[in-house]
Amino acid sequence: MTTPQDSPTPLSVSEHRSVVRLQRAIQIGLRARIVFAVAAVAMLLSVVLAATTVTIAKNTLLTTREQALTTQALANADAITGALGSAETSDLQTLLGSLPQGGSPILLTGTSSGPAGTDPTTVSVDARYSIDTLPAEFLSSVVEDRNNAVMRFRFEQEPLLVVGVALPNSEASYFQIHQLGDIDTAIRSLGFKLAIAAFLTTLVAVGLGYWASKYTLRPLNRIRDAAESVALGQLDTRIEYADYAADPDLAPLVANFNDMVSALQERINRDARFASDVSHELRSPLTTLNASIEVLENARDLLPERSQQALDLLSLDMGRFTQLVEDLLEISRFDAGAVRLELDAVALVPTVEAAVRMVANASVPVEADPALTDVVIACDKRRLMRILANFFDNARKYADGATSVTVELHEPDHLGIILAARTVRISVEDNGPGVPEAEREKIFDRFNRGDQGGSRGIDLGVGLGLALAAEHARLQGGSVWVEERHDGAQGSRFVLELPMIEPIEADDPEDLAAVTPEEAETFALTGQMPAIRLDEASDQNS
Amino acid sequence: MGETIGVGTKILYVEDDHRIRGSVKLALEDEGWQVDESETGEDAILSFGRSPTDVVLIDIMLPGIDGFEVCRTIRRHSDVPIIMVTARADTHDVVAGLEAGADDYMTKPLQPKELSARIRAMLRRARPAQPGNPHLQFGDLEIIPQEGVVSRDGVQIHLTKTEFRLLVELANTPGKVFSREDLLEKVWGHGVFGDGRLVDVHVRRLRTKVEQDPANPRHVMTVRGLGYKLQP
Repeated sequence: MTTPQDSPTPLSVSEHRSVVRLQRAIQIGLRARIVFAVAAVAMLLSVVLAATTVTIAKNTLLTTREQALTTQALANADAITGALGSAETSDLQTLLGSLPQGGSPILLTGTSSGPAGTDPTTVSVDARYSIDTLPAEFLSSVVEDRNNAVMRFRFEQEPLLVVGVALPNSEASYFQIHQLGDIDTAIRSLGFKLAIAAFLTTLVAVGLGYWASKYTLRPLNRIRDAAESVALGQLDTRIEYADYAADPDLAPLVANFNDMVSALQERINRDARFASDVSHELRSPLTTLNASIEVLENARDLLPERSQQALDLLSLDMGRFTQLVEDLLEISRFDAGAVRLELDAVALVPTVEAAVRMVANASVPVEADPALTDVVIACDKRRLMRILANFFDNARKYADGATSVTVELHEPDHLGIILAARTVRISVEDNGPGVPEAEREKIFDRFNRGDQGGSRGIDLGVGLGLALAAEHARLQGGSVWVEERHDGAQGSRFVLELPMIEPIEADDPEDLAAVTPEEAETFALTGQMPAIRLDEASDQNS
Repeated sequence: MGETIGVGTKILYVEDDHRIRGSVKLALEDEGWQVDESETGEDAILSFGRSPTDVVLIDIMLPGIDGFEVCRTIRRHSDVPIIMVTARADTHDVVAGLEAGADDYMTKPLQPKELSARIRAMLRRARPAQPGNPHLQFGDLEIIPQEGVVSRDGVQIHLTKTEFRLLVELANTPGKVFSREDLLEKVWGHGVFGDGRLVDVHVRRLRTKVEQDPANPRHVMTVRGLGYKLQP
């Protein structure tokens, strides 16, 4: 796909938005979105909370410290004021060093704007800080403007607090510098702990969101299960409305779902009824037509030659039309879901032999794997017969009839051994032109006769035979396909593969239908029901 | 075809669609049968009581009382061979028709020639041709094929002609396993493969009459996957 910029007709904003929304919906599931939303909100809240806490704590600590130090500095300043007049510089230094909680005190004995030649003397205790350490504005505010002031600043990355006192009745100024590193460390440590707390909160929120989404989605899962069951053909599936009647969000959804399934069930039943009605409506006139044609044929010799020709044409197409109606009715029963599998205990090889005798015009050899001689499988005999009849019919139309039939046991390969069941394959070969690779799947489509369709002129049927064969096979968990002949000769090989399902003991013909197509398919997929050997029957035989 | 069965044999044909009835009657008459028509089930029952009938052909879907009911009513009074005609080959209709007492069924569109063949086979079996064994005894079960008599513990059992023919077919070679197809061919004269339901329902009907305990048969045995046999 081209990007909107390259595209001759770029997507509109709303189109693009809906595409993005669609992509997002596809990429992120509902549950993931709920989890994500809950986690994001939790994380945001805990981060904001942590930041606020840190800020408040920091301010509180600093203010408290500032007040305490200011009070102390003023007291210290009083002490210095008393000593200032008499003391020598060295005495002052000793005094500064002995002040309680004096931090790094600096005494400035004069102002730079004092009388000429009297440079102000600086007395300090801590060599790390000098008067130049202090910000100029602060310094001038105290020294020049004679204000007491407090300030926080950084010096060489170190957070410092300075209290400046303009000593009364003199030009001297007293400064106390304090390190605030401990507060910084405490705040940083607090921030770190809060960050961990925020992370943990987010984690908990993810868990909570997951649980909440699971809880919220539980009704959706139930609807999904119900929908799956409907898709599998359980059309009487409904969700208990009473369970959700109290929920304003779910009640309409459940009601709509149930209504939808009811409508579907009604529709399918109607289709099945329709197929049945159509069947009756079509077969009735066909009976009249067939019977009337027979009456005419009985008197064929009495008709003028042209009428005889017309009768022959009528008769031929009547046969074709009857077959078409039969096939269409059969396939409409499949489409309407109105087919019923009638599984019977079938002795495979004798049944195939009998079927071949019945459907083949000439005798066709049946070659059976000796391992299958006494095998009995559950299978719908009528459908087996129809499939083989369609294979033979096809061979008659496109080749000169079937040449051989083989019945083989097919063991799944090693990779498939867990999933695949053992199957039987019944193959019908002919020596016609064969089916080209590209056509091999298509010929099982409805009304598709392959490329050679029509090449043989008359009586080609209507192209539903193989499609029906596929449906008949699929219904009992089997499949059909066409391949090349195994001996490499020209011709085609039509294969019917059936799962080896153990028959259920039943004499009652009604009970024989006890296995549903889904069950048969399950057996076929899981292979839980291998065919059995007919020891019991052989004993009884002897 | 050259048999004398067709001549003078009367078929009662119950069908409400007059076009079908007319055309099938013509075709059946061409085959040499004599055909009495009935448009409704009620009419058919009256007509059956009025004049002797050799075969009854009943369409299932009839206005008023349906084909199943007609079949049951006639079967209460007579062993006459009954063939059901259905537009649907669904299990339900076929089995219900056979349970109602029909001997055979055909689906529309009817092919009158095939129908004739079935009727012929039915009438032939109603009068067993080959002599076979004059007297067969299996435990409590006694069969005299020539006289059409079956009795259990000395008490005569009433079987329809098809049930009787089925029993005799199995009894003529006791122990031999007959596939459903064998039986369809021998008893019903079917050339068509496949519908074992016809055999199964008749076997079941037969068992309810000849077995002490139909659920655990001792005479008419099922051979799983292969068919049926009579236990010698």
